[in-house]
Amino acid sequence: MKKWFALAAVIAVAAVVPLLLNPTGYWIRVLTFTLLFAAMAQAWNLIGGLANQTSLGHAAFFGIGAYTSTILLLKFGISPWLGMFAAGALGGLAALVIAIPTLRLQGHYFALATLAFGEVMRVIANVWTPLTGGPGGLSVPFTPPSFAAYSFKQLLPHAYIALAALIIVTAIFEFIRRGAMGYRLRAIRENQAAAEVIGIDTTKVKLQTAVISGALMAMLGTLYAQVAVFFDPDTVFSAAAISIRVALIAILGGVGTAAGPILGALFIIPVEELMNDLFSAGAAGLSQLIFGAILIAVILWRPRGFITLWDSLRARFARGEARR
Amino acid sequence: MNAAALLLEIKGLRAGYGEVDVLHGIDLEIRDGEFVCIIGANTAGKSTILRAISRLVPRASGTLRFAGADLSTRASHEVPALGIAHVPEGRHVFPDMSVEDNLMLGAFTARSASDLPERMQRIFELFPRLRERRSQLAGTLSGGEQQMVAVGRALMLNPKLLLLDEPSHGLAPKVVEEMHDAFVKIHSGGTSILLVEQNVGLALDVATRGYVLETGRITLQGSSAELSQNPAVRAAYLGI
Repeated sequence: MKKWFALAAVIAVAAVVPLLLNPTGYWIRVLTFTLLFAAMAQAWNLIGGLANQTSLGHAAFFGIGAYTSTILLLKFGISPWLGMFAAGALGGLAALVIAIPTLRLQGHYFALATLAFGEVMRVIANVWTPLTGGPGGLSVPFTPPSFAAYSFKQLLPHAYIALAALIIVTAIFEFIRRGAMGYRLRAIRENQAAAEVIGIDTTKVKLQTAVISGALMAMLGTLYAQVAVFFDPDTVFSAAAISIRVALIAILGGVGTAAGPILGALFIIPVEELMNDLFSAGAAGLSQLIFGAILIAVILWRPRGFITLWDSLRARFARGEARR
Repeated sequence: MNAAALLLEIKGLRAGYGEVDVLHGIDLEIRDGEFVCIIGANTAGKSTILRAISRLVPRASGTLRFAGADLSTRASHEVPALGIAHVPEGRHVFPDMSVEDNLMLGAFTARSASDLPERMQRIFELFPRLRERRSQLAGTLSGGEQQMVAVGRALMLNPKLLLLDEPSHGLAPKVVEEMHDAFVKIHSGGTSILLVEQNVGLALDVATRGYVLETGRITLQGSSAELSQNPAVRAAYLGI
């Protein structure tokens, strides 16, 4: 019961924060992207955390999502809300296609294969000009502002949509983690050979997880396209800015936990923005260098993620209680 | 013994990895209630026979029948539900789960969950040390205790046939004896056992019948008494 109250309180605070920021300002944009990246890292966390398969190619699904809904809107006038589901279907299909050959790989081999897949998608989007507009990118066409058309004058509704997306993806993550599928995944993660001999269809469970993860990532790609309004292949299929960043957010926060991606995003996105803000006037690349140094320090300090900070705080608190 | 129904029937089994055949036509039978062992040197293909039965070997041909069902059409995850429990070589436990959770996962494919606590009690009677350590993480147990967890997990399935792959490998002699006492108890409880073991003396002690495997072919078979008297077996495996 206490847990539910705490959860309700966190969501209430998160719902109030956007109202406190200047609705046309810079920080509401940072907040929207923080929430969006938290949701993306949570989608990644399904395959990366629960199935322990470190994907470095999630930009592939993300970009597919951004392009699918935007092309449907441009060519057929279909609302991005519907386009989002088409994006999810296509992202899930792409995840299935890539997962069948790569899920046999483990560790670094899986990471490299998925990294390559993301890059292939970027190259395809760059050269398939009739469909994607090529390197010039796509602009999301302006439609009269309305919820049904997924078009708003301000960023505030986008912030709330990103918050809702984060809550939904986190709920899906928790539902899977606590259910029978979560138990199967845990068995696979701890010992694949033992999981097989007790009757778990390891390939099927991993495929299912990959498809759900890829579909969610693609749907979030649609949300991104609607906020960003313009994107090109090198942005949405970016290995560094999307694939590696979402993995980094989840890992830095605490991989395999529901809170991890949220904590990771709350740290990484604002700090990165802040560094750009503070140091971009200096030498070129200085802000990225400092940002990198901060990441290294954090990983050395908390190798298993920010989530462990909570555990050690709780342990300290429990000791204090006992002393009294 | 011959009156008992045929439980496992293997005919002309060829199996291997990639291009290489490890087994070159194996014939092997287990009747209901038997305790059979496969002995032989390392790399003879002993584990591959068990892995072929559990459908874990990528490529296999020949006849594989279990209790009337054709195993060769089944996927590996369907095998436990038929009543075959496999204890793989190398003490595969789930390290970050408690002993109890490890055992419960063994009954993953059980249709009814009503008698699971009872099954767990039987395992605790067999391995009292697991009762003491029921809430401990399996990864923190000693090697022998982990092997007990692996065997207990397989027994949670109430299997008709228990496949044991080198269960004494790397364990202290005293623990090995405890282990084999437990196998005799499991067998007298009505479970058929197929044991793969490089400790030939021990294997012939507990099993009633055995097969000798050499480079993918069965070269000898007979009762344990016959085999332990066989001069070739004595010279090659018992060091006498």
